[in-house]
Amino acid sequence: MTIWDLKKRTKAEITNLTSTLPTNLSMRLAEMGFIEGQIVHCMKRTPFSGPLVIQLQDCVYSIEKDLAQQVHVSPIQ
Amino acid sequence: MQKIVLVGKPNSGKSLLFNQLTGLRQKVANFPGVTVELKSGRFDEYELIDFPGTYSLQSISEDELIAINQLKKALESPDTCLIICNLDATKLERSLVFALQVQSLAQTHNKGCVFALNMMDEVARFGFEYDTAGLSKALGSPVFAISAKTLIGMSEFSQALKSYAGTPSLARVNSPNRDHDSAVKVAARLAKQFGMQQDLVLRKQNRVDHVLLNSVFGALAFAAIMFFLFQSIFTWASPLMDGVEFLIGALAQGVTSTIPAGVYEDFVNDALFGGVGAFLVFVPQIMVLTLIIGLLEDSGYLARAALICHKPLSLFGLSGRSFIPYLSGHACAIPAIMAARTIESPRKRLITMMTVPLMSCSARLPVYALLIAVFVPDVAYLGGWVNLQGAIFFILYFGGILTALIVSKMLDVYVGDSDKNDLPFILELPNYRLPHWRPLLYKTLNSGVYFIKRAAPIIFVVSVVVWVLGYFPANGDLQGSYLAMIGQLIEPIFAPLGVDWRYGVAILVSFLAREVFVGVLGTLYNIENADENLIGLASQIQADGFTLASGVALLAFYVIALQCVATVATLKGETGKNRYSWGVFVLYGLLAYAVSSILYAVLS
Repeated sequence: MTIWDLKKRTKAEITNLTSTLPTNLSMRLAEMGFIEGQIVHCMKRTPFSGPLVIQLQDCVYSIEKDLAQQVHVSPIQ
Repeated sequence: MQKIVLVGKPNSGKSLLFNQLTGLRQKVANFPGVTVELKSGRFDEYELIDFPGTYSLQSISEDELIAINQLKKALESPDTCLIICNLDATKLERSLVFALQVQSLAQTHNKGCVFALNMMDEVARFGFEYDTAGLSKALGSPVFAISAKTLIGMSEFSQALKSYAGTPSLARVNSPNRDHDSAVKVAARLAKQFGMQQDLVLRKQNRVDHVLLNSVFGALAFAAIMFFLFQSIFTWASPLMDGVEFLIGALAQGVTSTIPAGVYEDFVNDALFGGVGAFLVFVPQIMVLTLIIGLLEDSGYLARAALICHKPLSLFGLSGRSFIPYLSGHACAIPAIMAARTIESPRKRLITMMTVPLMSCSARLPVYALLIAVFVPDVAYLGGWVNLQGAIFFILYFGGILTALIVSKMLDVYVGDSDKNDLPFILELPNYRLPHWRPLLYKTLNSGVYFIKRAAPIIFVVSVVVWVLGYFPANGDLQGSYLAMIGQLIEPIFAPLGVDWRYGVAILVSFLAREVFVGVLGTLYNIENADENLIGLASQIQADGFTLASGVALLAFYVIALQCVATVATLKGETGKNRYSWGVFVLYGLLAYAVSSILYAVLS
């Protein structure tokens, strides 16, 4: 599953980024905190498949579907 | 002059630090065609350069590549003596990733490097204390705990900067060189050891967002803020605009009374004060808009507005960040086109810039006001709550936005898949903060100065040319002037709009700057100071037998047409291509002509 599949107020652990992403984009995501083992907290989903709001360590990001589907996670109970 | 370089991630208080260190003495250098904007100012005997906020030395767009190459060049340059890495103390890990990369580069080039641990006021509010000495030791560079907002630690910091800049060897980096992956890892380790607990920092922000991003209440708040913004442009700016108008009028009277009557007096009065003065009146409106948008930006709300608008705007090939340029476009297209620089994807940025001129800018206001006064009766409905003239104003504004969205969609389809290698939308939602007055004030003043610098020369030339053509060879008799001859020649072109040669001339001339329309028409109807006496001019036009169909056609024409040379010049500067700027000029001209001809044919 990816970040896009997270329900509101649930957490998941990042496993990996889609391997076909361009290198500079995956490096940027790593710098923004999208690293294996980090915990993603879904704060909000917007209607009509609008951008997600997630908390990742010290930042809150708004991230759109296309990109959210590139970040793979495993759910945490 | 020796240079000091300031870098840091976005939303980290970097601009405020820059403003506090340099004061008013700053200038902005732009790179045409890209978003890169280098601000520089004097700090003591050094030149302080503020680089655009970025997360990384790895670029993900062409614009970032240019910014990063500039930064690398500055780090290599022998003129650079010191590098300041600005850190957000409430978000240590994120700001360290980039700062560590820069530090390594500074080390490679043997430059001094210091860290400014900014936003200590917020840290103090959470009751947290930083081990600055420990962090400094771990980083291998001096660290200063400061707050550019409340000035905590600022005097020590600027003292230290002066001595480090004088002898950079004191700030030489003392740490192992790091590559990209290790910068990410080291940042995480240091943040864990020295940084604040994150849940604490974000709790307040998330509580506010819970309300402001709520599907129902958030939408209401958004609508209320937009309403407030429009009110401020049209209500609050008007006393200021009246003030400017009064000053120009007084100045004109003072100057013309010293000149003997004749050609020279007519020239100064009509061309200088009439033409150039009429446009200076819009400067307060632009400044008020800049102030309010600055307030929204600095408080952190604009990022939320972009998030709310992203989905609806992306249906038209735009981004959530297109919202800000569209909003500013209602004051003036020039700052709005420049505001498009924050749009992440080049493709969406281009579409946004090309459609911004369709927003009803303040220069259209006098044209709308005149035409509405001519053919819309001043009646109110629903017990005075809805005024017909006001409602028509609203329809015109809405018409502009709707046209922009339709054109965006068409451009999106037209551009096709050729440039789909696009940046995705990811936006940090910054902490809510109380804005600081100083940078806001600078921004507001600069917007006025910049607008005048950019547009005044063109308006001046137009005014002079129109005046000369309208004055000679009959020495003040318009009917016998060159302008009248030209007007009769082009009359057939504007016949489909149901207007005669005088309007033809006014429209033609207003292709350079649309606010000229009212002034030219006023001169043509032989009324002095047409801008001030809108109703006087309006009743003259009414008496002249102006039809409703022509009025609607003219209004539609002014909603769509791009009649502003300054905008075309800005588009050229920002896109770097004549194809886009003049292409848009011709496209909207033809579209306006077609729509208004059809409207006239249907209505008459």
